[in-house]
Amino acid sequence: MLTERNEGFDWPLSKKLRHRRDFLQESFCGVGSLALASMLHEEKATAASSGNPLAPKPAHFSPAPAKSVIFLFMSGGPSHIETFDPKPLLDKLDGQSRPASFGEAKYQFVKKDAKLLGSVRRFRRCGESGLPVSDLFPLTGECIDDIAVIRSCYCDKVVHSAAQYELFSGRVMPGFPSMGSWIVYGLGSEGSSVPSYVVMPDPDGALEAGQPMYANGFLPAVYQPTMFRPGPQPVRNLGLPDGVNLAQRRKTVELIDRLNRAAGDSLDDELSARIRSYELAFRMQTEAPEIFDLSGETRETQEMYGVGVEPTDDYGRRCLMARRLVEQGVRFTVVVSGGGTGNLQWDAHKDVEENHSRMAAQVDRPIAALLTDLKQRGLLDSTLVLWGGEFGRSPEAQSGRGRDHHNLGFSMWMAGGGVKGGQAVGATDEIGLRAVEQPYHFRDVHTTILELLGLDQDELSYPHLGRNERLTLVHGAVIDQIL
Amino acid sequence: MAERSENVCCRQFFRAALGCGLVFLFVGITAFGASENSQSDSDRLPKYTEQERAHWSLQPIRRPRIPTGLEPEDRDWVANPIDAFILRKLQEKNLRPSGEAEKRTLVRRLYFDLLGLPPTPSQIDRFLEDHSAKAYERLIDRLLENPHYGERWGQHWLDVVRFAETEGFEYDRHHDEAWRFRDYVIDSFNDDKPYDQFIQEQLAGDELAAESKEQEQLIAAGFHRLGAVRRNAGNAEVAFSRNEVLTERTDVIGAAFLGLTVGCARCHDHMFDAIRQSDYYRLQGFLASTFEYDAPLADPQNHEARAAEAKKLEAEIEELRELLENANGAEEERLRAEIKAIEKTMPEPLPTIFTVRNDSEQQTVIHLLDRGDPSKRGVQLGMRTLGVLLPAGTPELASDAPYPKTMLAHWITDPQNPLTARVMVNRIWLYHFGRGLVDTPNDFGVNGTSPTHPELLDFLASKFIEGGWSIKAMHRLILTSRTYRQSSQTKDDALGWEQDPENRWLWRFSRRRLEAEEIRDSLLAVSGRLNPRAGGPSVMVPVDQELIDLLYKPEQWVVTEDRNQHDRRSIYLIAKRNLRLPFLEVFNQPDLQISCGRRDSSTHAPQALELLNGPFTNDLAKAFAGRIEREVGTSPKDQVRIAYSLTAGRAPTADEERLAIEFLKSQPLHEFALAMFNLNSFLYVD
Repeated sequence: MLTERNEGFDWPLSKKLRHRRDFLQESFCGVGSLALASMLHEEKATAASSGNPLAPKPAHFSPAPAKSVIFLFMSGGPSHIETFDPKPLLDKLDGQSRPASFGEAKYQFVKKDAKLLGSVRRFRRCGESGLPVSDLFPLTGECIDDIAVIRSCYCDKVVHSAAQYELFSGRVMPGFPSMGSWIVYGLGSEGSSVPSYVVMPDPDGALEAGQPMYANGFLPAVYQPTMFRPGPQPVRNLGLPDGVNLAQRRKTVELIDRLNRAAGDSLDDELSARIRSYELAFRMQTEAPEIFDLSGETRETQEMYGVGVEPTDDYGRRCLMARRLVEQGVRFTVVVSGGGTGNLQWDAHKDVEENHSRMAAQVDRPIAALLTDLKQRGLLDSTLVLWGGEFGRSPEAQSGRGRDHHNLGFSMWMAGGGVKGGQAVGATDEIGLRAVEQPYHFRDVHTTILELLGLDQDELSYPHLGRNERLTLVHGAVIDQIL
Repeated sequence: MAERSENVCCRQFFRAALGCGLVFLFVGITAFGASENSQSDSDRLPKYTEQERAHWSLQPIRRPRIPTGLEPEDRDWVANPIDAFILRKLQEKNLRPSGEAEKRTLVRRLYFDLLGLPPTPSQIDRFLEDHSAKAYERLIDRLLENPHYGERWGQHWLDVVRFAETEGFEYDRHHDEAWRFRDYVIDSFNDDKPYDQFIQEQLAGDELAAESKEQEQLIAAGFHRLGAVRRNAGNAEVAFSRNEVLTERTDVIGAAFLGLTVGCARCHDHMFDAIRQSDYYRLQGFLASTFEYDAPLADPQNHEARAAEAKKLEAEIEELRELLENANGAEEERLRAEIKAIEKTMPEPLPTIFTVRNDSEQQTVIHLLDRGDPSKRGVQLGMRTLGVLLPAGTPELASDAPYPKTMLAHWITDPQNPLTARVMVNRIWLYHFGRGLVDTPNDFGVNGTSPTHPELLDFLASKFIEGGWSIKAMHRLILTSRTYRQSSQTKDDALGWEQDPENRWLWRFSRRRLEAEEIRDSLLAVSGRLNPRAGGPSVMVPVDQELIDLLYKPEQWVVTEDRNQHDRRSIYLIAKRNLRLPFLEVFNQPDLQISCGRRDSSTHAPQALELLNGPFTNDLAKAFAGRIEREVGTSPKDQVRIAYSLTAGRAPTADEERLAIEFLKSQPLHEFALAMFNLNSFLYVD
C-alpha cells in the first residue's frame, strides 16, 4: 500500500516534506538530527502559520523525560487493600467494627454498622526493592523496581461518574477537557498518520461517565480523542465503504484537490488547512492500517502479552497496540480494563475475591509485558505508564465479601517517563481508610504527569468563560519523591 | 403575537418603580419588604469601587451620534447607520471597505445565514431576475417569513442555553418531553417574539403560567432543567446534589442573558469582575424554591392511575433488587430476568410538560458556602440581583418574597439593564459576521474582550430596545447594511490582509465554513432527500453499533422506526449528552454540557475522513447521483453544471468543468457526487 502512494498522484506539499524528512531521518545520528530538529521547527512554523493546531510544540521546560503517556485505567475502582497496599491491622480486625479512632467515612452504599474485611489476598515482597505486591499481580510484581506506587491517593467523589470525570478532567462534572486533550493541546502531535490521543475502551461495555469523560470539553475539536473500536478497523472511517477500492478513491481525492485549487479562491490559511487535511486523511488511510496490524509482531512478543490466550488476549492486544502507538509518537493512550455492568469492571461490591482475581488475570500479564517491552526497546524512559482507577475500595465489607467505593485513600502507580521505581510514596492509615502521609489528590497526579512531560499547569491554559482554565482546578503539587 | 402576560402584582410594582423615576431596579425592596437581617446588618452588603462600577459593559446604554463628516464618495457607500460606524473605524485604521459581493454570492450567503440551507437553482434565479431596487430587501423578507428560519436561529439559541434532552452522567436519563422546549424556541424565533418576553418566559414561565394558564410559558420554563443532572444511587447526597443543580442553573443565567461569568464567584469573590461571593448566592436565591416538575398534559385522573400502577411495579422491582444484593449465579440471572420482565410491563408515560414549579415547603435555605462546599455553610442570604448594578446599600429581598423568578426576569429585561440588550445584539451580530463586536459573547466582564465598535454596539442595543426587542428587525438592519454585503473575495487587497488579517474592522466579509448541522442538512437537501417536516418528538437515527456499545445503557438508543424521519433537519435529531452524532461532533458541534456562545470551527483530518468514507455521505452521494441523472440525463457536461448549481450555487468555471468531465470519463457519477460534497465551494459561504 505504501508504495502505491505516489503513483500518479501528486501531493505537492506532503511529498516534498516527506522526502526531505526521510532523508534527514536516515542520517539521524550526526548533523542530520540537528537539521531534522530545525526542519521540524520550520515545518512547525509553516504549520502554525497555516493554522495547523496539531503541529508539535516545545514543552514549557526541558529536559522533559516523558514524551508519551499510557494510562492503564482500571475502571470501577480496584481495591488498594488487595493490590499494592498491605494492611496487617485490617486483617486482624476482620469482622469487627471500625475503631472510632480512624474517623468517619461516607460511602455510596455501606451503612455505618458495616464490619471491616481483611485482605482476601496475600502479599509478597518483589524485586530488589522488596516492595510488597499482592499475588493478584505476580508478573507485574516482577517489574516493581520500575514502579513507584502512590499509596496515598484521594479524590472528592465516591460515585463512579463524578469520580471518573475528576480523574480525567480534574472536575467532578462533564464539560471540561480530559488530560489527554490538554496534553495534545500543549505538545501537539509527533506522528502524522495516526491520531494523537487514543482511547481503547473495554469491549465488554461502557463506563458510567460515558464518552464525555475522555472528551475535549471546550478545547477545539482537533483535541478530541479517537475512540478505538474492537476488530481490524479500530478507527472510524479509515476503511473504505463497501464496493470502493483504494485506487478509485484516490482518483476521487485527487479530483477534490484539483477542483479545490481550480476554484480560483484566494487560498487563505483556512482553505489551505482544509486542503492539507485531505492529504493527511489519505495518508492516515494508507499508513494507519499497517500500524494497527499486530500480525507483524514476533510470536515471542505476542506470547509475552498473552495474545491468543484467554483471559489475556483482549487486554494483551490493546497493550501491544499501545506500544505500537507510542512508537508512532501518539501522546496519550488510554487502555481501559473493565466495562459494562459493575461486576465486569473492578467494581467489586459483592465479592472482591471473585471480581479481582478475574479482572487481574486479564491484565497482569499484558501490563508486565508492556513494561518489559517498552524497556527492552528503550522506550520506557520516554513513556510514562500510569495505573489506577477512579477510586479504591472500602475497608468495610459490603454484601458479605464485597467492598464499596472508597475515595479517601487508595493506590495508583507510575512507571517510566522519568519516574524512580521500586518505591512506595505516602501511606494510608493502618486499616487503609484514609491517606494520612503525604496525601495526593488527582490534581497532584495531574500536575506530576504534566511535569514529567515538561508542561506547567499554569502555562497550559485556555481562555474559557472569563477564566484561563487549566487541568487542575486547585493548584496541584508535584509528587517530588518519584521523580 | 401572543399578548404579554405578566404577574399583575409585579407589573404594578414595576410600573410604579419605573414611573417614579427610580433608578434601574431597587427590585421590589419596599413593595415586598426587605428581610430584617439585611437592614440591621449593612456590613453584609458588599461595596464596589468606582473603578469597578466604571467597567464599560456596566454603563448605561446611550444612543450614540451617528458619525458624519464623511467624504462625499463614502457617503454613497453608507446604506444605513451601521455603515457609518464601520466606515469611521476603517478610516481610522487606513482601511477601505471591499466592494459589494455579486448577487449570486449574496443570495447563497443569505440562505445559509437565515435558513441554514442552500438556495435551490430556481430560488437563485428568482433573485437574479428581480431587477427592482427592492429585490434584496424582498429576499430578506421572504427568508424571515420562511419557517426554516426558526430552525436555523433556534439552533443558535439552543447552543446558548445548553439544550440537550438527556441528563448526562451515568444514567443519561432521557426526557421524552424536552423536545417541546426545542419547538418553543423555533416557534418563538419564527414569530419574532420580543426578546424580553422570550427571556421572561424561559426564566419565569411557570410563575407567569400560574395566572395565564399558557402552556407555552410552562414549556419555556423547562429552560431551568436543560442542564446535566447527576443522579445518585445509594446513600443520597441531598444537599450536594441540590447545590449542583442550583449552581448549574445560576451559571447559565449569567452566561446566557447577562454575559457574565457569575459562576466564578461561587467559591470566592470573582477574581476579575465586581461580583462578590455573596452576590452569587443572592442571585441563586431567586431559584431557591424552584424544583423539577412534569406537568400533566393528559387528564389528571389518567396520570394518577398510571402513577399508582407504576408505583406498585416499582415496589416489586425494589424488593427483587434487595434480593439481588446477596444473589449469585443462576439465582442472580433469574432475578435480573424477572426485573427486566416487570420493567417491560411498566405503563407508558403519559404526556407531560417538562418544566419547573415553585415549592416553598422544599425551598432551599441559601447560605454563603465556603469554597462552594455545601457542608461549609456561612451566613444565610436572601435574594438580590448583582450589587454592582444597584445603588450602594440596596438591601436584599426576603427569601420568601413571592414570584422570585419573575422579579429576576424583570430585572434582566429592564430596558435600563446595561447588559441584556448588548449581549443579545452582539450574539446576533456574531452569527451574521462570524465574530462579535465583543469577541467573547458569554463574557462581557473585565476578562472578556472590549468591543471593537463600542458605539455601534450601543447603537444596536438601543435600537433593539426601542424596536420592542424585535430580533427580526435587527436582522433587517444588519443585513441591509453595506458592511454585510461586502465581498469576501479580496485577494487583491494586500493592505487589508496585512493590517487586519482577522477582519476585526470588517473591511471585507469573512468567509465561513458551514456549521455541523448546515452541512448535514445541506447534504440532505442537495441530494433531494431532506424531509422538511417541522416539530415533534426527537428522532434517533442509526449509528454504528460500536458507538451504541460505548453507552452505559445501550438500550437507550432506539432507532426511530420510520426511515423518512431519519432525513429530517439536524435540529430534530435527539440531543443526547452521552452520544453525539459522530458526523456533527466532528464538525465542531458544541459538547451539550454548558452554554456555548461561539462555536469552534477548526479543521482536522477526521472531518475529511467523515466526508470521504463516512456511511452518511457515501449513501447520499448515490442519492445525489440519482437526482442528477433524473434531472439532466447522462450528458457529463449537464451533470457537472447541475451539480455545481445545487452545491455551490453557481456554474463551474471552465477549468472545473474540464476536470470534472475528464473524471467522469472513467469514474462513476456517485464518486463525482461525493467529490462535490468535499469541495470548499460547497462547504464554505462567501
